[in-house]
Amino acid sequence: MATALSSTLRSEDNVLFDRSFRTRWRIGFDRWIGRLLPLLFLVAILPILDMVYWVSVKALPTLTWTILVGQSPYASDELGVPIIGTFEIMLIATLLSVVLGLFGGVATAELLSSRAAGWMRMSANMLVGTPSVIVGFFGYFTFVLYFGWGLSLLAGAVTLSIFMTPYIFRTADLAFTSVPRTIREAALGSGASPTQYILRIATPIALPQILTGIFLAMAIGVGETAPIVLTTTAGKVAPDSLSSPVTFMTTLIWTGFNQGSNSPYFVLAFQAAFLLMVVVVALNVVVRVVAARYQKRLEGLYQ
Amino acid sequence: MSTGGSGSADSVLSVRRLSVLAKGKRILDDVSLDFPPRSLTAVVGPSGCGKTTFVRTLNRMVELTPGLVVEGSVLYLGQDIYGPRVNPVLVRRRIGMVFQRPTVFPMSIFENAAFGLRIVREPEDEVDKAVTEALQRAGLWDEVKSDLDRSALSLSGGQQQRLCIARALAVRPRVLLLDEPTSALDPAATQRVEATMERLSEEIVLVLVTHNVGQAARVSDRVAFLHTGHLVELGPTDEILERPKDPLTQQFITGRFQ
Repeated sequence: MATALSSTLRSEDNVLFDRSFRTRWRIGFDRWIGRLLPLLFLVAILPILDMVYWVSVKALPTLTWTILVGQSPYASDELGVPIIGTFEIMLIATLLSVVLGLFGGVATAELLSSRAAGWMRMSANMLVGTPSVIVGFFGYFTFVLYFGWGLSLLAGAVTLSIFMTPYIFRTADLAFTSVPRTIREAALGSGASPTQYILRIATPIALPQILTGIFLAMAIGVGETAPIVLTTTAGKVAPDSLSSPVTFMTTLIWTGFNQGSNSPYFVLAFQAAFLLMVVVVALNVVVRVVAARYQKRLEGLYQ
Repeated sequence: MSTGGSGSADSVLSVRRLSVLAKGKRILDDVSLDFPPRSLTAVVGPSGCGKTTFVRTLNRMVELTPGLVVEGSVLYLGQDIYGPRVNPVLVRRRIGMVFQRPTVFPMSIFENAAFGLRIVREPEDEVDKAVTEALQRAGLWDEVKSDLDRSALSLSGGQQQRLCIARALAVRPRVLLLDEPTSALDPAATQRVEATMERLSEEIVLVLVTHNVGQAARVSDRVAFLHTGHLVELGPTDEILERPKDPLTQQFITGRFQ
């Protein structure tokens, strides 16, 4: 018995060490990639850190509370007006795209035939891939000219919502399709109608992902320039109606930067950029916090 | 309702010439049987014999799987559940179902048990009463009565499965379908679920799908043996398990094929 065992151990089939070039190369490759990845991460994040640094350096020394809310050294072009304008555009655009994106996402995930759902998803993907300047042109020709809304708050907000909707649609679709099949069957098997399933079971489960999608769409939307520049005209005062001129944060940055570094608007552009950065970071933090809080409630659901 | 009317007068559920086709292939082939009141019928058979598909045809859950075509009829108290004016949502409220894995919803224990009542807008005091009764009938009440507001996801697997049974019972169905309800549970939890099933079989019609002959022997009073979509044999549990007439049944219960 003992001899039989040792003879098997000596046989080639049971050797665990492999000194072939192929294996050694693969192990070495893995090791080096493991060392390289943190470096690549640094390369990726450096431009962002650089940008944050320079925008802060240019913006912070002169950024005061009075510039944010009231009269500034630059007369009526203080940041208060673009802040209100941005807020109003984002409010309308977000409301529109949440309604459209959510309904579309729920319908695609739960109600439509797989063929129709496929068309919806393809359209959304194409819309996400469409350059924003083309969305801007579409908004200009459709809303500003054809509908006759002029360069206005409404035209800007609706155009921006077209840009934001597919992001919300995609996360809503994904959120509803990723609710476990077993949960869906259990709800329908308990005598729930599809609508009752969607409202009472799926929505609470999908909510963290949906909220994430909404906040991300807002973060993307608030930084968009082309759809707004092409469909609004900058206003010196806060808009008082849907057809008013309106100044969006990125419009201010775009025009301010184009005036050159000697213009007072140049610094204003950096201040606006700084604020925008803060808003985008804040939105991302909110996404994390909201998602984490809701995820805790769902612990143990996906086993 | 074409082939209806032939179900025996005292059976709650009658299956008449039922076939299920997937892309022309017959998953179930011409199955006919009756489920009398207060009975527990174990549907056994090797993997892929169509037993899960069979039990899913009994409350139209099968329709949630695209591409399956159902032929024949299933009579619930004489009405064909596949009849032209039948609402599948109502069918599923009368004929409840429990699945292989516990499927509690991310809400409190109470709200889980109350789900079927909430969706029909039952008044609050009725809900309270029915939930208590359902949890008692499912054999879970003593373990959860002091913290009904706790998340159902905090329960153990066996408790979750009994909560699923309670959820199905709360709407007082006459038929409860159980699709391998203990396949994801440990032996102790399995025992409690089996005890619950035995108790319930004195009140309502239970249809239990299981690949476990021992479980069928322990809890069922009738066994139906399915093989490649055919109903091979149906009879009292001890008769089928001890003196099977068909060689296929014989092979299955002696464990010669799984």
